[in-house]
Amino acid sequence: MTRSIVARPGAANAGLLRSETAVAVVVFFALALLPGVASGYVVYIVPQYLLYGMLAMSLALLWGFGGILSFGQAAFFALGAYAMGLAQHWDMAVNPAYVALLISIAVGGALAGVVGYFLFSAGVRDVYFVLVTLALSIMTEQITISQSDITGGYNGMFIPRMSLTFGDASLDLSDDVPMYYTILPLTIGIYALLRWVLASRFGKVLIGIRENEDRVLSLGFRTPLYKTAAFAISGAIAGLAGALYGTHASFVSPSLAGVLFSTQVVVWVAIGGRESLLGSLLGAVGVAALSNYLTAITPEYWQLVLGIVFVLVIMAFRGGVAGALGGLTAPRRPETESG
Amino acid sequence: MQTALSVLVDSTLITFVFALAAIGLAIIFGLMGVINMGHGAMLTLGAYFTWYTTSAGVPFAVAVLLAACGVGLIGLLLEHFIIRHFYDRQFETLLLTWGFFLVSTEIIKIVFGTDLRTVTNPLPGAAHLGPVVVPAYQGVVALISLGLLVGFALLLFRTTVGIKIRALVQNAEIASLLGLNVGQAYKLVFVTGSAAAGLAGGLISPMLSVDPYIGNVFLVRSFFVVIIGGIGQVLGGTLVGSFLIGGSETLFALVSGQVVAQTIVFALAILVLRFRPTGVLRAE
Repeated sequence: MTRSIVARPGAANAGLLRSETAVAVVVFFALALLPGVASGYVVYIVPQYLLYGMLAMSLALLWGFGGILSFGQAAFFALGAYAMGLAQHWDMAVNPAYVALLISIAVGGALAGVVGYFLFSAGVRDVYFVLVTLALSIMTEQITISQSDITGGYNGMFIPRMSLTFGDASLDLSDDVPMYYTILPLTIGIYALLRWVLASRFGKVLIGIRENEDRVLSLGFRTPLYKTAAFAISGAIAGLAGALYGTHASFVSPSLAGVLFSTQVVVWVAIGGRESLLGSLLGAVGVAALSNYLTAITPEYWQLVLGIVFVLVIMAFRGGVAGALGGLTAPRRPETESG
Repeated sequence: MQTALSVLVDSTLITFVFALAAIGLAIIFGLMGVINMGHGAMLTLGAYFTWYTTSAGVPFAVAVLLAACGVGLIGLLLEHFIIRHFYDRQFETLLLTWGFFLVSTEIIKIVFGTDLRTVTNPLPGAAHLGPVVVPAYQGVVALISLGLLVGFALLLFRTTVGIKIRALVQNAEIASLLGLNVGQAYKLVFVTGSAAAGLAGGLISPMLSVDPYIGNVFLVRSFFVVIIGGIGQVLGGTLVGSFLIGGSETLFALVSGQVVAQTIVFALAILVLRFRPTGVLRAE
């Protein structure tokens, strides 16, 4: 009985997920071939969009599947980038960049876990959670500005490109192509990991919480723990994406933790489709690429259009682009579920 | 002694500025439960309208009133075309009002530019109260802020309109069964809150440089003021909340840096949210 009730919303998503896998394979295949046909700026910039996409997926897990909105993903992202930046000063036997990647995952996961448990265990309502995460993002930005001895303050921090080491062999990632082929597999890996998480029992419970938390709770699941775990996973992935972003961009500044960047992520995910990991990933890549392109031509009007599109998506197209496309291709279901 | 007094005056003045900035939100969020993430944008719009009209030669007091009307009108349009369709969905209104922030910020940038603007202080000079110096304008703003709070509290608890609004807040369904036009009442409250935010933005504009993100400084703080003070407690809650968020920041800033003080206050606000989610003034 338990299983059927909790699994139902997942089953409703199954059609979308099946077609999503096919699209994902095509997209990742195309991305893998990209450096063969393009070069220069494209190969430099696409990994950055993919890292934005990784950040977007961290939010999609939380918001699209758990129904918990965070305005603070940028805080974890920036902390990861700073961890990567600080790692350059560490003198250790193993590759410090590897340690920094692990630390960024641990810091993002631990901070989100602690904040999440602290709030969810008291039953803090979703809308208040948004405000707390917004405050988290502001606090992180302020702290990185004020601790200028460590972080470089407003001026930001220079971060060298990391290198990959395997035993004695080492591969310098200062060239764009090796960097590209490091970040792409990691992005695919995170996508696959999150798909696996969502397909697991944990994912089913998470979706159940989104649909009706009280019911899941009354079925005997300790929903605060599930929500905390989702937020911790989300924070850990955001931290990892941030560390990679730091070393890719070779620079981090406090604005990366700021409210504007934090909510930019929300816009990507909303437009891409919050209930689809691939939609969120491509939403981030697409919107960031368009932003980059159109900002050069018409900066103000582009941002205005983006804002209007965001409002329209929230008002009328809950599923974003992915939902709209999925609705076209998926076979019609007899029952239409409103969420 | 003198330092202690001037710190007291400083934190009192800051408390009233925060209360002023939060009044609009205390109305829209505190009474209606609408998470108005566009509150900061409404303050910004008020500041820009005031800057625009004062630079055109309009006297400051009139400019601030015009700003309040202007933002009230924008609030009316926002409510009528978007928000009223989403009253039963708190999450959607949160996102939509954030969308309002995104859109209005970009429109401000297009119409008014991104440069820092300054509004001339209409009341330069200071009042000497014994050993303490109170900047005249800040003093007047504190009085206006107090007046507005008392005014709204009287409106809410001493008038027929107020009793209707309170009925609406307590139970919208029964209020509508008793013949209250719920849609109209919500609209009235939303527009009043927007106008209050516009007024606050205008009054705050001479104290800060006006840029397209000026209101954001107050967005999260205003939410904390309303939540910490106690939702629905327009007079007492807003004052207590403003003191705990704004006044205490001034006090903490004495022993630590400004930034550390702000971080401490935010952390404390989160603690209150966790342990007393109904605010410090609510008994239950």
